[in-house]
Amino acid sequence: MKKILLVDDEESIQLVYREEFEDEGYSVISAVNGETALELFKNERPDIVILDIQMPGMNGIEVLRKMKILDSSVPVILSSAYQEFMRDLGTWASDDYVVKSGNLEDLKSTVQKLLVT
Amino acid sequence: MPELRKDPILGRWIIISRERRKRPTDFPTHITAGTGGFCPLCPGNESSTPPEVLAYRHEDLPQDGPGWEVRVVPNKFPALIIEGNLCKEGLGMYDRMNGIGAHEVIIESPDHEESFADLSSQRMSLVFQAYKERIIDLEKDSRFKYVMVFKNHGKAAGASLEHSHSQLIALPILPRMIVSELEGAKAHFNHKERCIFCDIIRQEQQLFERVVCQNDKFITITPFAPRTPFEMWILPKKHSANYCSQSAEDFQELSELFSETLKRLSACIANVPYNFVLHTEPLRSGGLESYHWHFEIVPKLTSIAGFEWGSGFYINPLPPEEAAAYLRESWPEPSVGVKDEKDSAC
Repeated sequence: MKKILLVDDEESIQLVYREEFEDEGYSVISAVNGETALELFKNERPDIVILDIQMPGMNGIEVLRKMKILDSSVPVILSSAYQEFMRDLGTWASDDYVVKSGNLEDLKSTVQKLLVT
Repeated sequence: MPELRKDPILGRWIIISRERRKRPTDFPTHITAGTGGFCPLCPGNESSTPPEVLAYRHEDLPQDGPGWEVRVVPNKFPALIIEGNLCKEGLGMYDRMNGIGAHEVIIESPDHEESFADLSSQRMSLVFQAYKERIIDLEKDSRFKYVMVFKNHGKAAGASLEHSHSQLIALPILPRMIVSELEGAKAHFNHKERCIFCDIIRQEQQLFERVVCQNDKFITITPFAPRTPFEMWILPKKHSANYCSQSAEDFQELSELFSETLKRLSACIANVPYNFVLHTEPLRSGGLESYHWHFEIVPKLTSIAGFEWGSGFYINPLPPEEAAAYLRESWPEPSVGVKDEKDSAC
């Protein structure tokens, strides 16, 4: 079973994502801040990461750059409600960028695509 | 008493606030936070970027691998996309069109730590050559009307990665600022049959008080009505509307003066964030008599607040004559030399 690390400070988002991805047959672990996410990344060795950008403390782009130093082979999807973060070239270290919406189909197909390649 | 100054090209008014006059040491020093970590622009990480559209490297080395001097790649997450037709339509009194465009990133050095001002003149020339090659290539696409080249240096100026890079955006419309500049220059030309920028260069060389530095082919001045302290323009002395008409030799001279200009700025205010923008004629204009390509360097030292948004007036606490004097005196190897009235603009 493929393991997803979900990083988002919004617990309601975590609940929805967890339900949707567990229904699809994934195992989901989660963190509400960057520090915990990095610990889980090192210790739990997820197959893929879904990472929010705007979080208190360390933001998603800082977390991303640290994760890529730890293991650049693990795909990381940045997920934000704000499209304007795409102008920030810090996002380039990610493997994809998905704008948050109520419909998770884009996110699901991106996860599938990155786990295959 | 404050002084109002009018930009002769744009007709834009600037308030020079002598009451708020500042010296270079009065401005806050900005230091880009070194966030460290993985850098998608560094050699070895080429797979983190889309495939390159231009790179200068030894011909035996493979594309999209290390060994490059300057590398240009499309934006990984573009706001404007290059594929598709340009469909324009009216929605009642409003207009809309498809978001067609090209957004590219010019990676200026393989060295993560090297700033633009630190580039050797040889490498900086390659960056200028890359701008030219990309503009010429994008000009072939009839959907595009203008290519804007710009750089954000420092976090306060909008740079989000420490690795030195500039950006290029090809647009299907002319930016309002460029239209205003073209119209202002054309109005002057219609009246006097001379390029307004050539007139500015000629007058600045005679007055000398706003000249920062110069060499045989280029000159750096603080403009008469600058929006911010230490705003500078770098212009070719010989009339030319099209940046792409410059030769490799021209770029070498441009690099030397550009580097000196930034070093003078840095000597006045260390770690100052800035933006620079290339102003050149619209694509396929054929070399306008009334326009003159140039770079504008705008340090990020003052903020745009309610008054500026509401009135369109910028308040500048440092007169450009004083800024130029600071910049001339800041560098240990002044190249300005003596006032030379014979050195005409065009």
